[in-house]
Amino acid sequence: MTQTIAQSAAVPAKRGVLESLTKSNWIGLVPFFAFIFFFLVLPSTNLLMRSFQDFDGNFTLANYAVMKNPYVIKAYSISLRVSVITSLVGGVFGFFVAYAITLGNTPRWMRNFLMTFSGLAANFGGVPLAFSYIATLGRTGFMTAVLKSICYTNAAGVQVCPFNPYDNGFNLYSIGGLVLAYTYFQFPLMVLTITPALEGLKKDWREASANLGASPFQYWRDVALPILWPSILGATLLLFGSAFGAYATAYALTGGSIYLITILISQQIRGDVLNNPYEGYALAVGMVIIMGITILAYTILQRQTARWLKS
Amino acid sequence: MSYLELTNIHKSYGNAVAVEDFNLSVTQGEFVSFLGPSGCGKTTTLRMIAGFEVPTSGHITINGNDLTHLPPNKRNVGMVFQSYALFPNMTVSENIGYGLKVVGKPKNEIAKRVEEMLALIHLQELGKRYPNQLSGGQQQRVALARALAFQPQVLLLDEPLSALDAKIRVELRHEIRRIQQQLGITTIYVTHDQEEALSLSDRIVVMSQGRMEQVGTPGEIYNFPTTEFVAKFVGQINLLPVEVQNPAEGVVKIGSQLIRAGQYGHLNGKPVRLAVRPEELNPGFIEGSNNLNGIVETITYLGAIVRIRVEVEGHPISLDVFNERRMKMPVAGDLFQVNFPVDACWLL
Amino acid sequence: MKKPRFDLWSVFWAVAALLYFFVPLYGTFDFSLRMKKGEISLQAYQLVFSDPQFLRSFQYSTIMGIISVTISILIFVPTVYWLYLKLPKARPFVEIVTILPFVIPVIVYVYGINTAFGGAPLRLTSNTFTTDILMVGGYVVLSMPYMFRAIDVGMRTIDVRTLTEAAQSMGAGWAQILFNVIFPNLRIAILSGSLICFATVIGELILGDFLLRPALGPYMAAVGRDKAFEPAALAIISYALTWASLGLIQAISHGGTSQQQLTGR
Repeated sequence: MTQTIAQSAAVPAKRGVLESLTKSNWIGLVPFFAFIFFFLVLPSTNLLMRSFQDFDGNFTLANYAVMKNPYVIKAYSISLRVSVITSLVGGVFGFFVAYAITLGNTPRWMRNFLMTFSGLAANFGGVPLAFSYIATLGRTGFMTAVLKSICYTNAAGVQVCPFNPYDNGFNLYSIGGLVLAYTYFQFPLMVLTITPALEGLKKDWREASANLGASPFQYWRDVALPILWPSILGATLLLFGSAFGAYATAYALTGGSIYLITILISQQIRGDVLNNPYEGYALAVGMVIIMGITILAYTILQRQTARWLKS
Repeated sequence: MSYLELTNIHKSYGNAVAVEDFNLSVTQGEFVSFLGPSGCGKTTTLRMIAGFEVPTSGHITINGNDLTHLPPNKRNVGMVFQSYALFPNMTVSENIGYGLKVVGKPKNEIAKRVEEMLALIHLQELGKRYPNQLSGGQQQRVALARALAFQPQVLLLDEPLSALDAKIRVELRHEIRRIQQQLGITTIYVTHDQEEALSLSDRIVVMSQGRMEQVGTPGEIYNFPTTEFVAKFVGQINLLPVEVQNPAEGVVKIGSQLIRAGQYGHLNGKPVRLAVRPEELNPGFIEGSNNLNGIVETITYLGAIVRIRVEVEGHPISLDVFNERRMKMPVAGDLFQVNFPVDACWLL
Repeated sequence: MKKPRFDLWSVFWAVAALLYFFVPLYGTFDFSLRMKKGEISLQAYQLVFSDPQFLRSFQYSTIMGIISVTISILIFVPTVYWLYLKLPKARPFVEIVTILPFVIPVIVYVYGINTAFGGAPLRLTSNTFTTDILMVGGYVVLSMPYMFRAIDVGMRTIDVRTLTEAAQSMGAGWAQILFNVIFPNLRIAILSGSLICFATVIGELILGDFLLRPALGPYMAAVGRDKAFEPAALAIISYALTWASLGLIQAISHGGTSQQQLTGR
């Protein structure tokens, strides 16, 4: 993913494509491009074009005024907040786990197990994940019950249960709960994407830096993290994207009570809550634009921080 | 006076012994090579000096200070790695200056030292490049400069040239020797390439299976190998199984032909072999020299040198002659006479 | 001078990850067994399996999965084969196209399908057959990054040109080359791609939900809205299903390449 995004930014071999396409051996790709045209290009461009049309089919930018709608602003901001938080939380957690199973000295079975399990959990999301969290941390969930049962009688003779999560302001059906649930697939995704980069850290670099007098902290600050940085950025982008587009988990967990942008769009599809389908299209295109801006920012950031990558 | 001292070094991993009974003292400014095949313990020994491995027993001292258990970043020894190990995220200048930066040297001092080092390796104009914009040879020069920039007590080189092309290898070899002598830095050089070891070193330690086989100057190692391993590993050698004829005078017999060896120990009935290097053999017969009769097997042109393989009493023996245009080469199947001086051969 | 056997910092994170994986799993499992008050029972599972709607949606999703996998293979194997054989320069471009579903959120994509094909003049969503075609197209698009990756990785490991020339020299036609030479050599890659594609179809909520087809995802969401214990049982069933298929890939490909495929990198 990291690499492909970098490639997409540069679009190498573009001339090559055109060159070889003129050589009439493009025939083999016709089924693929026909499929892509019908099922990807057509729906996307249709949405895009309609977002610039009024009821009579004339060009207008007015639909994008929906971005000034306070509900829309709120939905976008909650979505962005959840995405940023979960990609940071999942990213940091996943990074340490990946470190533990690559460079860290952990039992072998743990490494194999975590690697395999990350492959599974990263693909796991949606409705069943939400059910799991409800069954575990919902009001009557398993963990809630366990935490609730840790009680003691205090000096005044009153029974106190200090760990009851719902007494401490926790609510699964909130943004906090959502972050907790998303982390279930976010951190394994981080583990999967960052592990090859960690494995690519040469032992010689660590030894060379120690040889030059650097402490382990200096090694990580000056060498390892700068080298890993492009991969970390790429992985975080992937995490951001997966959280930003997520719908099923949030929908099944909170029944739509948290106003994510994906939930708002789903309501628009179902019942035109904006009372203007064309504004709905603008809403949807807005999501793609945000993804586009994120990828652009990522590309710029990566070029600046990893100038050494270019040869 | 000895500067770097390795005393009774022993290293094992579980039951596997990597290095044993290693004793060596190196004087200040000396260039010592560890030479041996892969897995002989030469790199392990070097890594113990650098601090990446801790000896199971024994001591390492530099200038009288015991650093056996010091962490690598407190040792002040410079190391050059086979893979260069340049930090890809830093420019050439940043790489070279890194050893000074981590100890908090002021910026202008670092910059000055980096300039000096760049001048030393003749890469002044490449300071702003990144490692992946350099050739392998350039990268290894930068690695050398980086290892020297913080003025280490000892310079360690771990097969620094083996990832490079043959031509650059020779070029860089001279470069390393020049810089080493210019700075007068005590240097340990690990290699499996005998030519490198012979051409660079003040002294060579030949190692095999974790043990020191022989320590000596290049001349001693090449001309007076004390073990069969050294004789075979360094240079080409003919080893002929012979029968002892006269133990007191070193006269031996191959088939029916008699040979006198120049150097021999106690010949107490053990099987003995006659050792002689191909370049010591000459075609033809010389009175008073050792002479052998045989049949030419193959002629191999190696460029300046032609290697003639002759079968003597059922054993192959090679001789190297210079390739001269006017010389008429024998052909396979010819009867052939070779001679070599008595003091050119010895018994093992 | 022996190093400590394990470093605590790493073990801490590994254990934290294991807990994060297993506590919700165990919690769900435990919860799913507690439908009858005060005893452990499989009642939730019995109810799920005896619900005709569950069976219907499960059947529907399975069929859709099989169709999608087949179509996906038929599109991507020849495409990737062609890219390797004739148009290697076009590969980066096609690769970018195949990761677009990562950039376009699913809900937006489904919205696009809905508006492009649902309204006049096509009105494809007005009958179930054409809707199912859209469903399959959607599933193939959503699983495209994984499928393309899997086949791409597999194709890289075989020498396409030599195999093709060898087959041609023996007189094989294009169809024979594809079905007798390329497919068998790619079976592991195809299988791993298929399993992810299938798992995607089984777990997908949005397509079925908004095209109003009786898929497993929408069924589960509906159960979640008005039942308490059945969802937990369903989650366990769905974990078992997904993980059985994904675990199979791990087993087949020994963990190495599949992890790359799974994240679609």
